[in-house]
Amino acid sequence: MTTSPVPSPPRRATSVAAPLPRVQQAPAIQDTAYLASLKKVTQYYIVTAFLALFVGVMIGPLQALNYAGINLYDNPIVKALLKSYYQGLSLHGVLNALVFTQFFISGWMLYLPVRDLGARINMKFAWFTYVLMTAGLLMAAVSLLSNRATLLYTFYPPMEGDALFYIGAAIMVGSSLLVVGQVVSTWWNWKRANPGRVTPLVTFMSVATWMMWAVASLGIVTEVVVLLIPWSLGITQGVDPLLSKTLFWWTGHAIVYFWVLPAYISWYAFVPHHAGGRTASEPLTRLVFVLFLLNSTPVGIHHQYADPNISNLWKTIHMFLTFLIAIPSLLTAFSVAASLEDAARARGGRGLVGWVRKLPWGNPVFSAQVLAMISFIPGGAGGIVNASSSFSPVVHNTAWIPGHFHITVATATALTFMGISLWLIPHLTGKRLPSVKIASFGVWSWFFGMMLFALGMHWEGLLGVTRRAQVSATAQDIYHTAQLALPQAITGISGVVLLASAVAYFYVLFGMLLSRRIDDGEAAAPIPYSEAISPAGEQLATASPIVRATEPLLALWVMALLLVLLMYGPVIGKLLSNMQPVPGWRLY
Amino acid sequence: MTKSQRHLTDPVPRLEHHSLEQIENIWFGIAAVMSFLLFMSAFASFISGTYPGLNGASGHHLAGVVNGRLDPKLLAATPFAKPGLHQNPDGSLDVFVVTRAFQFEPAVLHVPAGKPLTFYVTSADVLHGYSVDGTNINVTSVPGQVASFTTTFRHAGTYNTVCNEYCGIGHHNMVTRMIVDPPQ
Repeated sequence: MTTSPVPSPPRRATSVAAPLPRVQQAPAIQDTAYLASLKKVTQYYIVTAFLALFVGVMIGPLQALNYAGINLYDNPIVKALLKSYYQGLSLHGVLNALVFTQFFISGWMLYLPVRDLGARINMKFAWFTYVLMTAGLLMAAVSLLSNRATLLYTFYPPMEGDALFYIGAAIMVGSSLLVVGQVVSTWWNWKRANPGRVTPLVTFMSVATWMMWAVASLGIVTEVVVLLIPWSLGITQGVDPLLSKTLFWWTGHAIVYFWVLPAYISWYAFVPHHAGGRTASEPLTRLVFVLFLLNSTPVGIHHQYADPNISNLWKTIHMFLTFLIAIPSLLTAFSVAASLEDAARARGGRGLVGWVRKLPWGNPVFSAQVLAMISFIPGGAGGIVNASSSFSPVVHNTAWIPGHFHITVATATALTFMGISLWLIPHLTGKRLPSVKIASFGVWSWFFGMMLFALGMHWEGLLGVTRRAQVSATAQDIYHTAQLALPQAITGISGVVLLASAVAYFYVLFGMLLSRRIDDGEAAAPIPYSEAISPAGEQLATASPIVRATEPLLALWVMALLLVLLMYGPVIGKLLSNMQPVPGWRLY
Repeated sequence: MTKSQRHLTDPVPRLEHHSLEQIENIWFGIAAVMSFLLFMSAFASFISGTYPGLNGASGHHLAGVVNGRLDPKLLAATPFAKPGLHQNPDGSLDVFVVTRAFQFEPAVLHVPAGKPLTFYVTSADVLHGYSVDGTNINVTSVPGQVASFTTTFRHAGTYNTVCNEYCGIGHHNMVTRMIVDPPQ
């Protein structure tokens, strides 16, 4: 399926781990002040992200224990900080799955393409974007922390929160579109200055992901700006909850690809280097990202199988499109496994599966990301179940669902980002890791803790335990059955394991950040580019058909937008012509 | 050296462009077959009738309901004013459920086994869930909208009914049960 006009240089078969030649480095940036500013804004994004994750993660064990039947919310210390389980859950969801992810990705996918192209960007604009995004966050945080927006991560109306929450959230999420603009225009300027050249791989992946996010974010931005802000300010008298929910899930499903694709950037371009191997195929990687660009968004209705007044025809069309999204992830599983096998065989790994032992499992930058990949296997499979309308009533809004997304976003994405931070922070700041052993413990215990959590919660869900509920405080005893005893115990233990894991990881992270700067990070922790078995080549004219077909990202971006309008237009049109606004309530 | 000893020290062949391409094509074939099987199994559920679809634009013939919408403040002008089991003149059975923070109306639903029942579910205030343990009844109750589905209980018994959509501080206590009576 891949063709490459430039054959890979013949490799001497070797059974000894020879150090790979450094095949590529980011183009040198001479202006040290500019590079320092670029690294600093990236660092600010990354650190803000991990500060949010820290707060969000500390609330996690309380919730895991809730699902073990242990209610800690009447404890005086907890009560002083959190008015209710639901406030804690809102903070946990927003900080982990909205703030941590968006801030990390904004730093990661601004820095990488700019360094990849050796480009000069407007640092005033970049800093302005960071400040605006943080301002939005702080506004929303005020409402969340004062229990004035206990709406959970999905903030479904007509449960109503303070206008400050919606406005802050809109500013925060909307700022990400400024990053889209800056990265896409940087790429476009490079294209015009380098006609006939193939976009370098890391830039290609970043630009495609940002384009996908721009199309995806339209739903939530429209919902918040057009429906929710005027309503919360009293300008309009009600909101149609079904229209609102439909717009939310336009973004709500695609956002999971916004979370996973930045991890894929590392899995494709950098993990082979960490492993001592090569990226399998650059043309195939491009194809994967184009498939995600086109297919991530027009699938959101599979989150609404239980909702009324949306036709079964459209639910079914979205279901089939969702199944198609399995394909680029399956291609990724192949490519990444191939590059790992390549690495292991370079170190003398033999046998059908025995080569796995030759991988650098003691290196937490490597192990975090490969454990994240392994987690994504049951995570993705569970996703296929969730997307199937026949299974949906069995699992919808049960504990199965958080079981699912803790092994996808909370492991495949979060653990990858945690692994990346172990080289990225030294690269950006010139500081050093305080302890590889503790980092490694943090990584492995996170993986095992999440596996236990997923086992317990999927099981509880199948036994009928509902999600997002303070089940340890129900007056009734439906959650005290003998059948539930074992999965509840497993979930409780997972909460303790994950707490220990978080303590270890954040010890390493804060240890790094608060230590002395040693150098500028370029030599000690360079961007870990990898060689490719099948490279794309540099000239479009001689590149393979896949490379040529995937290069016109602007045209593909327009196609992605048209596809979404086609798949959502009729549904939203019908909802608009049957609007039924209802008044708001504050029941928390 | 024996043959097996030599095998251990032979250089390990590395992946290169052509061997990779062959394996990629095999994998692509596997992925395509998996996708095809997914499509087909979903399709099969439509044909076998096990697809748990909601009725479209629910409640066309109900008083006060237009295109599946109603005004949650005017439930009194609709059949939802009297939640529970209703028998229609033609003998068919309808069930009306209203969700309200933090209770279900009727508090305990009684329905007969073995007969088709058409449920209509709506909310008086915020989003709720209507989920019946041990069945595939699991719908969102939306204020201003009517969710409808038709089902037949095969077995008599008591079924826990929970709200599974966050509705506020009392959400976890919004639990009741449904009693399915044996057929007469």
